[in-house]
Amino acid sequence: MLNKSLIEDTLAAALSTGGDFAEIFVEDRTNNGIVMIGGKVESTMSGRDYGIGIRIFKGFNSVYAYTNKFDKDTLIDTAKKAAKALTGKNPNIIIDLTKTDVKNINPVKIDPSKVEKTKKVQVMKRAYDTAFNYDELITQVTISYTDFTQNIMVANSEGLWKEDTRVRSRLGISSVASKNGEMQSGFLGPGASRGYEFFEDLDIDYYAREASRIALTMINARYSPGGRMPVIIDKGFGGVIFHEACGHGLEATSVAKGLSVFAGKIGQQIASPLVTAIDDGSMPNQWGSYTIDDEGTQSRRNVLIEKGILKGYLVDKLNGRRMNMDVTGSSRRQSYRFPPTSRMSNTYIDKGSSTPEEIIANTERGLYAKHMGGGSVNPSTGEFNFAVMEGYLIENGKIKEPVRGATLIGKGTEVLNKIDMVGNNLDQGQGMCGSVSGSIPANVGQPMIRVSELTVGGREGGL
Amino acid sequence: MDIKALIDKIFEKGRASGLEDMEVYYSAGTSLTLKVFQKELETYNLSEGEGLSLRGVYRGKMGYSYTEKADESSIDRLVKDVIENATIIDSDDEEVIFEGSKEYKKVDSFNPSLSEVREEEKIEFVKKLEEEAFNLDDRIVSVQSCVYGDGSGETIMSNTKGLYLRDKSNIAYTYISVVAKEGEDIKTGLAYRTGNDFNKFYAKEIAREAVEEALALLGASPVKSGDYKVIIRNSAAADLLEAFTGIFSAEAVQKNLSLLKGKLNEKIASSVFTLVDDPYMEGGLASRSFDGEGVACKYKKVIDKGVLKTYLHNLKTAKKDGVETTGNAGKDSYKSSIGISPSNFYVEKGERNLNDMIADTDKGILITELQGLHSGLNSISGDFSLAALGFLIEEGKISRPVDQITVAGNYFEMLKNIEEIGSDLKFGLPGAAYIGSPSLKIKKLSIAGE
Repeated sequence: MLNKSLIEDTLAAALSTGGDFAEIFVEDRTNNGIVMIGGKVESTMSGRDYGIGIRIFKGFNSVYAYTNKFDKDTLIDTAKKAAKALTGKNPNIIIDLTKTDVKNINPVKIDPSKVEKTKKVQVMKRAYDTAFNYDELITQVTISYTDFTQNIMVANSEGLWKEDTRVRSRLGISSVASKNGEMQSGFLGPGASRGYEFFEDLDIDYYAREASRIALTMINARYSPGGRMPVIIDKGFGGVIFHEACGHGLEATSVAKGLSVFAGKIGQQIASPLVTAIDDGSMPNQWGSYTIDDEGTQSRRNVLIEKGILKGYLVDKLNGRRMNMDVTGSSRRQSYRFPPTSRMSNTYIDKGSSTPEEIIANTERGLYAKHMGGGSVNPSTGEFNFAVMEGYLIENGKIKEPVRGATLIGKGTEVLNKIDMVGNNLDQGQGMCGSVSGSIPANVGQPMIRVSELTVGGREGGL
Repeated sequence: MDIKALIDKIFEKGRASGLEDMEVYYSAGTSLTLKVFQKELETYNLSEGEGLSLRGVYRGKMGYSYTEKADESSIDRLVKDVIENATIIDSDDEEVIFEGSKEYKKVDSFNPSLSEVREEEKIEFVKKLEEEAFNLDDRIVSVQSCVYGDGSGETIMSNTKGLYLRDKSNIAYTYISVVAKEGEDIKTGLAYRTGNDFNKFYAKEIAREAVEEALALLGASPVKSGDYKVIIRNSAAADLLEAFTGIFSAEAVQKNLSLLKGKLNEKIASSVFTLVDDPYMEGGLASRSFDGEGVACKYKKVIDKGVLKTYLHNLKTAKKDGVETTGNAGKDSYKSSIGISPSNFYVEKGERNLNDMIADTDKGILITELQGLHSGLNSISGDFSLAALGFLIEEGKISRPVDQITVAGNYFEMLKNIEEIGSDLKFGLPGAAYIGSPSLKIKKLSIAGE
């Protein structure tokens, strides 16, 4: 993407005012997006993101600059402008890059850019037809198709020089059911770090029916009761609870500055002994996977919590300095417009020993959250919230009537200790995670779990 | 190659490839971000970016493409992508390239004095902001983020129907988020300012606002679940309005994705509620003289004393409804196709201040912050169930802080149940739109807590 001497010269210019580390990130990315509403293609967008980011460290401080221009003058000039923010002597670091080949952990069989758009539209049409014809009460279906190919190069003053290609594909299905002047919706968005073969292998009808089934179930549901009660959260995207309640608080971004409620707690029991949680960016072809992170570190499996004991954080280079810890292959960013920082990849609660049937049968009263929406957290207080897309009441160990509009809130430190049953049916779900370094693809996962008590936000009186 | 020459070349290539009307949207901008942590300038970010998009009509359908490599080498690919993308469009709605409005009112959103502020002053300001926060109270144990940023940008819209529009703007922003701790209780407080006059940023005042916010919440606990009278404070009410902005889009209405369908000229909100879209508002950070299609913008009341007067339209949706566009074509950046977006969008203020509104509330909840707005609400059904922070009101006075509760309701019902609107109109952080609201007193919402 850039030649060796140009990279070396740029890094040298970046270090000319006393920086102790410099890095270049080059990105050339192709995006394709198609939106279908009511069975017709409404809009399409194709485009190319193209830019270079230069980052400099001096101790705990960092400087970042980016540009869309790749010529030598602009790069050296940008590096010098960034370097001006630091004051010091030229350290005369000798930069000698050695290119390391990277073996892609996410093999792609069919390059999406080589596939006719009309074929992509056929996939969407299939999803639309299945979802729309699911029931008479389904009044609208929106399908979104996305694929992108991101080529990156990262090089730094320690001699690292690597390139990587990330290909991702995703289908979004949003169904709306209407009845008596009300509307309810259901959404599913399967995705993977794969090429067009992802759509060929995908059970499109299953996801389309599920999205419509959720909308239909919710239009016939009454409002959820509110108050504190046991909550069972189903497998897959239900893992968003761990992502929000705990995952963000384990990112060095908030741990390094002591801002997280989990700072300084390595080796301590922070969760129920039933909880083992893992962040693994190296799972082949998963939505949140990558071969190398955006600092060039190989992705890997990081155990965050083992049997309730905090084992580690997700650490990037800069925060690693403050924490005096090694990087964990977790440094990510949306694009060259953001400096990278520690983020989650595929994060999940590992499977336990209970069967889903046991968990439900052992719950006298409570809420069963079958499908979750998104959520958010304040890492300083640990307060999180997230939405239940499809919920049911549980009475006497049985799943009863559906309820809509429930939200779960709580504090991460509390909820982790209240997980009292963990299922044996681990599954993953796909989402986009937004934080300081932008919006990035991430998996959330878990088997079915039960939380002995959570605050459920709803509109009816307590259970 | 200068941008005008590049645009001409793109049009030339497009015509030769069979494109009919075409339009280029180009934007370029620079930005600076400064973050301070423990008295040090911890982060210094500089950017210089540009991007260009092309849309064009091919066999009657509109295709889009964009690139951040704004030079001659990108032309072939831009044109090829537009043609390929237009070919798969099968919507019946006709999207057109606009020849231009008769008149454009000037909007002044560039303040030259902002670009003259020296970097040292900005650094000094953001350091002072952090220092003030720590000085105000010993219970402030850390500052989560302390940021100053500014940027300026230029947009050019040029098409083959002869339209050539340019727009230039700049903006500065600052925010601080503090952490207060007492015993085991931790609370955070945030304050921000936006605008393009650096001289109106007062470090002490901003720090105080964040600190007071955090301290006031210390010792909070939930309330009993049930229905309460609720006052949603201005900034939280603006956040809620922002999350529901999509319901006013004619596109959503036409696609059966808005419950406002068929409600024009009907009373959909309390008589005290008037909702305005004013692209020329004094000090508005989404002020604009033309919209994403090059149409001159205009002032309108979307809801007038509770009655829905209009949806927000672009050319495509207006044509479909047989009305005139409201000048609300949205184009957030060169990466987006034409959508619909309000400009400076706000609820008209009422007469009394928040304290007066609290004073005649016998029992209720004052909500100061709503969380999970991107997930805990459904703009299609109007249902929301959101984590919230605030205060319990008893006998006309704030009696204690409240946390770990949710507030739930339905936005369409809530609009009808607004009893009073405060005089304290406040705007949120600007995005594609700049959205504001005064405090709203709601007859009844569901609170879940203990």
